[in-house]
Amino acid sequence: MAFEKKNGWMGGFIPWVLPALFILGWFLASRFEIVPSYLMPSPKQVGEAGILYAFGAPGEGPFAGRFWLDAWVSCGRVFAGFALAALFGVPLGVLSGRAESMQRFLSASINALRAVPGICWLPLAMVWFGIGYRTTLFLVALAAFFPIYINTAAGARQVSPLLFQAGAMMGVRRLRAVFAILLPGAMPNILTGLRLGLGISWAYLVLGELTGVPNGLGAVIMDARMMGRIDIIIVGIVLIALLGRTSDLMLSGLLRICFKSARRLT
Amino acid sequence: MTTQLKLLTGKREAGIVPTLEVTRLSKVFKTGEGPVTVLRDLDFTVGKGEFICVLGPSGCGKTTLLNLLAGFEKPSAGKALLNGRPIQGPGPDRCVVFQEDTLFPWLTVEENIAFGVNGVPKKEKQEKVLHFLDLVGLTPFQDYLPREISGGMKKRVSLARVLILQPQILLMDEPFGALDAQAREEMQDLLLSLWNQFHHTIVFITHDIDEAVALADRVLLMQKDPGAIAEETRVRLPRPRERTAASFQDYCKALYQSIKKPR
Repeated sequence: MAFEKKNGWMGGFIPWVLPALFILGWFLASRFEIVPSYLMPSPKQVGEAGILYAFGAPGEGPFAGRFWLDAWVSCGRVFAGFALAALFGVPLGVLSGRAESMQRFLSASINALRAVPGICWLPLAMVWFGIGYRTTLFLVALAAFFPIYINTAAGARQVSPLLFQAGAMMGVRRLRAVFAILLPGAMPNILTGLRLGLGISWAYLVLGELTGVPNGLGAVIMDARMMGRIDIIIVGIVLIALLGRTSDLMLSGLLRICFKSARRLT
Repeated sequence: MTTQLKLLTGKREAGIVPTLEVTRLSKVFKTGEGPVTVLRDLDFTVGKGEFICVLGPSGCGKTTLLNLLAGFEKPSAGKALLNGRPIQGPGPDRCVVFQEDTLFPWLTVEENIAFGVNGVPKKEKQEKVLHFLDLVGLTPFQDYLPREISGGMKKRVSLARVLILQPQILLMDEPFGALDAQAREEMQDLLLSLWNQFHHTIVFITHDIDEAVALADRVLLMQKDPGAIAEETRVRLPRPRERTAASFQDYCKALYQSIKKPR
């Protein structure tokens, strides 16, 4: 708290260098027609498609104005799936990180399941849950569970036994020690696990939505592919990147607001 | 019968009531190569307000003794009584200052000191914490995190966070061992000045002869293989003690020779 690092204006500028260079390269490539525009439309075309997608009135085009509903639906799916994963991943991770018996009981099975690529669950999920919300939720929750569980377990395992001894001699034991010592001590790893889990949630969201649901950013990308609208595919990709990054910042920010340990240890 | 006798002798030796009574205390660890006796038949008492140093080479079971007294481990035989009650599990009546850094890294100096204080109204707690911050001279650093302060300051926090709980006995496991000579001496002086004010009962574990002579009313000298009390030395030096005085050095020499004596 006393020695917080502050970025100068250079620090705020540096993250934008790579995207700016990329857009410049893209612009030049389309300007001199190095890549045919039916494979890679110009930045201008994509920008216009994006504006129409976000702010156009319905009827101005097949995708006009759909963004808000798509984003709303997709965010809802991501957060529901992620919340489910966190709800199971954090407590089970803490248990298996601290209790050897739980670790023996869980870790072999979980690691075996983890080895299965998430996409393998898609056919089964479609049979079980049909096309749409529940399949997407299942895929997102399943995929996000593993990084949350594994990082939480690693974090819980690493909390020094001396800190528990110190707590015990000051009268803080058992359940109180879990909240006063274990969770704060494991917080950096829990935060990492949650961030990885949220990132992978977006990946599996698109997988779930590719199966043919009417709304959502993944659905838009799939529709655009069928209609040969490369510009909309790119718009979808960029928007998912932006939403993914925003949600990541919001997650970190929220944890930092709620927990001293997240604020001070990471 | 023996307990009564111990009580009486304890009284006669220290001139005060014993707080801690250790009777035939033993600890055996089971290892892959069979049982290892770490401590065998320890007998001693510590009077109320007495400052005891347990001095011994590494591997003589000093830390195991402290873990038994703190309740982190259970004795294999014998018992340890605190104010007549057997020690069972760790608790705030027997506070420990550890050799290692065990402050909570996500709490500030002030929050670390407040950690064990519970069941007290907020305002009273706040005042108490500020008082103990002041006692160890850390008021200007109350909002710092442990990683932002020096090793000596961390030890002050470790001391304050247990003194605030007013334990019946203070257990210190080579607390200043990792500090440089100057910081160590400063911490010894701070501890003594606090002890002069509050008369805590202290069991202080060390391998440093000078430290034992500077601090203790009584030095329990331990031997190893198996760990046991070899000798007991009462340090009859007036306080404050002058480390360079000839009488101080005589005690150091005598203890040094006792340690070297083949047993």
